[in-house]
Amino acid sequence: MAVTLNKTAGPGWASGLGAVVVLLGVLLAAWHGNEWMKLAIVGVPPWSLAQMPDADCEADELEEEGLTLAECRQLALSMHDISISAPDWFPAFHIAVSAAGLLLALLSVFAGVALVDYRQWAAATALTTLGALAVLDVVSFVGVVMVGPLIRQMYLWSILLWFFIHLSMAVAALAGYRNEREARRSWHAPE
Amino acid sequence: MRTKAYNKTVGILHWLLALSIFFLFISSWWMLGLPLASENFQLRAFPFQLHKNIGITLVVVLAVMLYARFRHRPEPPPPEALSPRIYKLAVLDHVVLYAVILACCVSGYLSSSYSGWGTELWWLVELPYWGYENEELNVLYSDIHLWTCWILLAVVAVHVSGALYHAFRNDGVIRRMLHL
Repeated sequence: MAVTLNKTAGPGWASGLGAVVVLLGVLLAAWHGNEWMKLAIVGVPPWSLAQMPDADCEADELEEEGLTLAECRQLALSMHDISISAPDWFPAFHIAVSAAGLLLALLSVFAGVALVDYRQWAAATALTTLGALAVLDVVSFVGVVMVGPLIRQMYLWSILLWFFIHLSMAVAALAGYRNEREARRSWHAPE
Repeated sequence: MRTKAYNKTVGILHWLLALSIFFLFISSWWMLGLPLASENFQLRAFPFQLHKNIGITLVVVLAVMLYARFRHRPEPPPPEALSPRIYKLAVLDHVVLYAVILACCVSGYLSSSYSGWGTELWWLVELPYWGYENEELNVLYSDIHLWTCWILLAVVAVHVSGALYHAFRNDGVIRRMLHL
C-alpha cells in the first residue's frame, strides 16, 4: 500500500541540501565502484612494457570502434599507466580508499534521505558522513601526490573537486545543525 | 501536511536503478578505453560481461518497480505543489525515461547478440543467442544503443533538475520518493 507522510515538512535548507547529498552520493558510489573494478583489472598488467605483445588492431574492428590505428596501439600501452607510475603500495591503497568511499557514499545517501524526510538527527549524521568523505578525499589526495605524474594527472583534479564539494556540503550541514539547535534552545528558553 | 508517498519498494528500486545507470555510464566510458579484445588482450571480458549483466538485471528491476508503482499508486501531489499542467509534464518525463531505459538496454543486448560474443548471466546461466553473428546488425544496434544512452543521460538530467527544483522549493513533492 502507499505510504502516508503525516508529519510537517522539515526546514527548507534540509530539503535542498538533502536532495543534493543524495544525488552526489549516488554519483560518488558509482564512481568508487568503477575505480574498484578498474584497479582490480588493470592495477597489475600481465606483462611488463618490454614484453608486451603487439596490440591486435584489425581494420574491421577499428572501423566498428571508430578508432585509428595509433589510438588502438595506444589503448594497449595506456593500460601500463597505473603500473608505471605507481609504487607497490598504491593498488592496495587505492582499492581501500575506493571501498571506504563506496561505503561512505551509500551512508551519505541515507543521510540525505533523512534530511529531506526531516529527522532531528539528520543534520548531525550528514555532518559526520560528509566530514568523513572530505577527510577521505584528503587521504586520497595525499596518497596520489606521493605517486608519479601519470596517476596524478589521472586523479588529482577529480579528488580536489570532490573534496570541495564534500567540504561545502559538510559546512552547510554544520550551519543547519547549529541553526536548528539554537532555534530549539530559544523555543525552550524562559521568556 | 499529509502526502501520499511512493511505496518503500519503489523507492529502493528507484535508487538501485539510479546507481546502476550511473555505474553503467562511468564504467562504459572507461572500458571502451581498454585494448581491443584479442588472444593476448582479454581485459575487456570482465567489464563487458558485468555491463551486460547489470543491463539485463536493470530491465528486470525496472519491470518490478513499475509493477510495484502501479499496484501502490500514490495520489498526485496537491495542486499548490504541482500544477496539473506540470504534473502532466512530469508523467511524460517518467514515461520517456522508462521507454529510453528499455530501448537502451534492449539495443545493447541485441548488439551483443549479433556480435557473436555470448552472454553468461552473472556467470551462471548461458543466455541463448537471439541473433547470429552479423556485423551490419551489430553496428546498427550498437549505434542505437549509443544514441539512446546519450538521450537517456539528457532525460536523466531533466528528471534530476525537476527533483532538485521541488527539493529547493520544499513543497513536499520530493518527499514522496525520499522518505525513511
